[in-house]
Amino acid sequence: MRRDHRSAILGVHWALILALVGLQVVVPPFHHTLLARIMVLAAYAIGYNLLLGYTGLMSLGHAMFFAAGMYGAGLPLFYLGVGAPQAFLLGIAASLLLSVVIGTLTLRTSGVSFLIVTMMFAQVFYLSTLYFNRITLGDQGFVLAGHLPPISLGALRVTLSDPVMRYNLALATFAVCLGISLWLVQSPIGRVLVAIRENEDRTQMLGYNTFAYKLLALTISAAIAGFSGSVYAVITSYVGASFAAILYSIYPLVWTLLGGSGTVLGPFVGTAVMTYTIETASRFTSSYLIVVGVILVALVMRFPAGIVGAFRRRWAPWLP
Amino acid sequence: MGSVAAVTALLETRALSKRFGGVEAVGSVDLRIERGEIRALIGPNGAGKTTLVSMICGRIAPTSGRILFKNREITRTKAYHRVAFGIVYTFQISSIFKHLTAFENVALAVQRRVGGLDRDVLAREVGEALAHTGLAGARDRPAGSLPHGHQKLLELSMAMALHPQLLVLDEPTQGLAREEIGAVSRLIQSVAGAATILLIEHNMQVVLDLSRRISVMDRGRIIAEGTPAEIEANREVQRVYLGP
Amino acid sequence: MTLEGRLVLALLEGTVTGCILALTALGLSMVFGVMRIVNVAHGEFFMLGAVSAWYVTSTTSSFGLALIAAPVFVAAVAVLVNWVILRPIRYEPQATIVATIGLLYIIQQVVLSIYGPYARTVAPPFYFRIDFPWFGYSGYKLAVAGLAAALLWAIWRVVSTTTLGLYMRATQQDQEMAQAFGVPVHRIFAVAFALGAALAGLAGALIIPIQPAHYLMGLDALLASFTVVIVGGLGSLGGTLAAAFLIGLSDGIVSVFFSPTLARIVSTALVALVLVVRSGGLFGTESA
Repeated sequence: MRRDHRSAILGVHWALILALVGLQVVVPPFHHTLLARIMVLAAYAIGYNLLLGYTGLMSLGHAMFFAAGMYGAGLPLFYLGVGAPQAFLLGIAASLLLSVVIGTLTLRTSGVSFLIVTMMFAQVFYLSTLYFNRITLGDQGFVLAGHLPPISLGALRVTLSDPVMRYNLALATFAVCLGISLWLVQSPIGRVLVAIRENEDRTQMLGYNTFAYKLLALTISAAIAGFSGSVYAVITSYVGASFAAILYSIYPLVWTLLGGSGTVLGPFVGTAVMTYTIETASRFTSSYLIVVGVILVALVMRFPAGIVGAFRRRWAPWLP
Repeated sequence: MGSVAAVTALLETRALSKRFGGVEAVGSVDLRIERGEIRALIGPNGAGKTTLVSMICGRIAPTSGRILFKNREITRTKAYHRVAFGIVYTFQISSIFKHLTAFENVALAVQRRVGGLDRDVLAREVGEALAHTGLAGARDRPAGSLPHGHQKLLELSMAMALHPQLLVLDEPTQGLAREEIGAVSRLIQSVAGAATILLIEHNMQVVLDLSRRISVMDRGRIIAEGTPAEIEANREVQRVYLGP
Repeated sequence: MTLEGRLVLALLEGTVTGCILALTALGLSMVFGVMRIVNVAHGEFFMLGAVSAWYVTSTTSSFGLALIAAPVFVAAVAVLVNWVILRPIRYEPQATIVATIGLLYIIQQVVLSIYGPYARTVAPPFYFRIDFPWFGYSGYKLAVAGLAAALLWAIWRVVSTTTLGLYMRATQQDQEMAQAFGVPVHRIFAVAFALGAALAGLAGALIIPIQPAHYLMGLDALLASFTVVIVGGLGSLGGTLAAAFLIGLSDGIVSVFFSPTLARIVSTALVALVLVVRSGGLFGTESA
């Protein structure tokens, strides 16, 4: 019985990737940039969901990991002229390091306290990017165009300013993160994380070092956030302090809840729907963020399972 | 400090105490449990039984005193680490994963022991554990949907799946009907060969059926220890339970 | 300006900040304490008070009227929010947090579309300067401090001597017990929420002659309130006051001598560490 579902599970997730590959051929170029952004941000949401949906920890500070990745890649690209692959590694390393420090401090708390502490540390990070604006150029930020040397993959030269390359870089990023997420939640580690979410006390008394597991979840979540942050910097060619602000901690929360927390596909669905909705709304009003507010309230009151969550409940309980 | 293995107690507490603010919940308890025993811990409500075993399991930090397991100091060892040593605790109010299936519940325990990577081994071990407790039919049902008695059995099943050396049971028959009590009692007896058991119980019949030695607590201290016959005849115990 | 001058300025600024902060944070603490929920939109009530006070003042030229109308308006919004959103979700902690985050954006963006992105101030209701050897200080600012102090005293009286105050304290101590004793807990919730919002709204209104009203001003107010409640301890009136003044003063000093941004960085980081160290957290119960 389990075997059948395994092929179905793989099938569904591969179908999404292939659909995204095919989409770039079918869809007009204007949408390519938007789709690329959605895929990278969906990767961010996937990372966030590992902590929220599977481990049961709600953080309001993930923007610091996203921005750490962004600055971790962007600053070397801008000032030191490193290549893109190195920049990504630096971005991941930056967010990983930050998450180990933050995790060690904050994971002693839980629930509301965890929420507030993560929010506060993220605010400290944000204010610091403003304070050190001689390096970071603060809110104004800096542009990476001209700082993105082509990548040589053997005989192939890849220019990152090429829209096709950007789309596929974003797609590759998303696919990798989706794969990691799918593997992790079905693994023994994933089982323990869910157990922690369900009943941490019991999980501890079964012999699991729940602090270590939570720290693991946080660092993986942060590394994915940082990875997506560095890729986002490259594909939008811009780094700015606004990505460290609280809105970018709330975005993954909305995306995840809308798509369905505790599902692997949910974050993508939520990010796609939300981003398109906001794009559309922003054409009508400058107060388009009200969409975020209304959706959050509606989710809490009527629709807590989210889109994929509700779908799973009715039709596909085997979906991870 | 090499003592001969046969002489070393499995678990020993020395002057173990716990104060909450001004209240002494457990006062200077010296408890000694030998390997292979089934020891019952009885006493009126508020005597400090759960506090005492919580300290033994590492859920509460003692105010003073020491705990030794196989002659090794574990007073400061973290709770999850003690499970690795073989001390396993079941909760007074059953604390299973209500939204996970019975299979998944036991799998978490088995995984702790054998690792989770080999799905076939995991499935087999879990199947055996469930069959042993008569829960094989409930395998794919959410644990929270099981009747109370089955939830208690599931909790016991999870504890046993960890292959404990010292199994600490906190009121395992609480809230159960008579037939269910019998099932739990038989289950405990079946483990008694492999594990040493420390059992908090209010049901005197179960205590007398299962245990060879009884420790009686009152107001944070152990007031009597002995065989069931000795305890039944003990005046102090009678006073505590029946009034002066 | 000399060192003493700067110090006195810092102390004065800090006192005024502390007073405003005390009012705002008290509102948050009341909601935390009585209802056991976190209202992430609390800062928006502060902002709403500022913006509505601006509207009233610019249309009626009466700042005094604004000081009455703004908190009443904000309280009305709070009553509506409690009825429409919080009651139906039964004040469940995690759901409330997410819902109030949503509320934050709704209020903020509605204000943006009506009031616009501008920062607007009003003239203080009266002009007098108090002359210090080093500088002239706005009499209005000192009046704000005085008014806030009077209000805080009034709240203290209400909480400690009236039946309403008794009900609120009982609900805070032990909700189930209070309910068993006949305390109309849900009505107390509504009152506490409205009162908490009104306090924040009033603080916002008081501040607009000093600091302009802007649709984004709520976030700083929220973080500052969290800071005060964490440092001062949940539900403790005295603690909240002491913390507000401590934070206001240290903020004032660091701002005058260094930069406001650095002041924020340091205070936020310190408070986060306090919360981390006090690992019992906000609602602190002993854990192993």
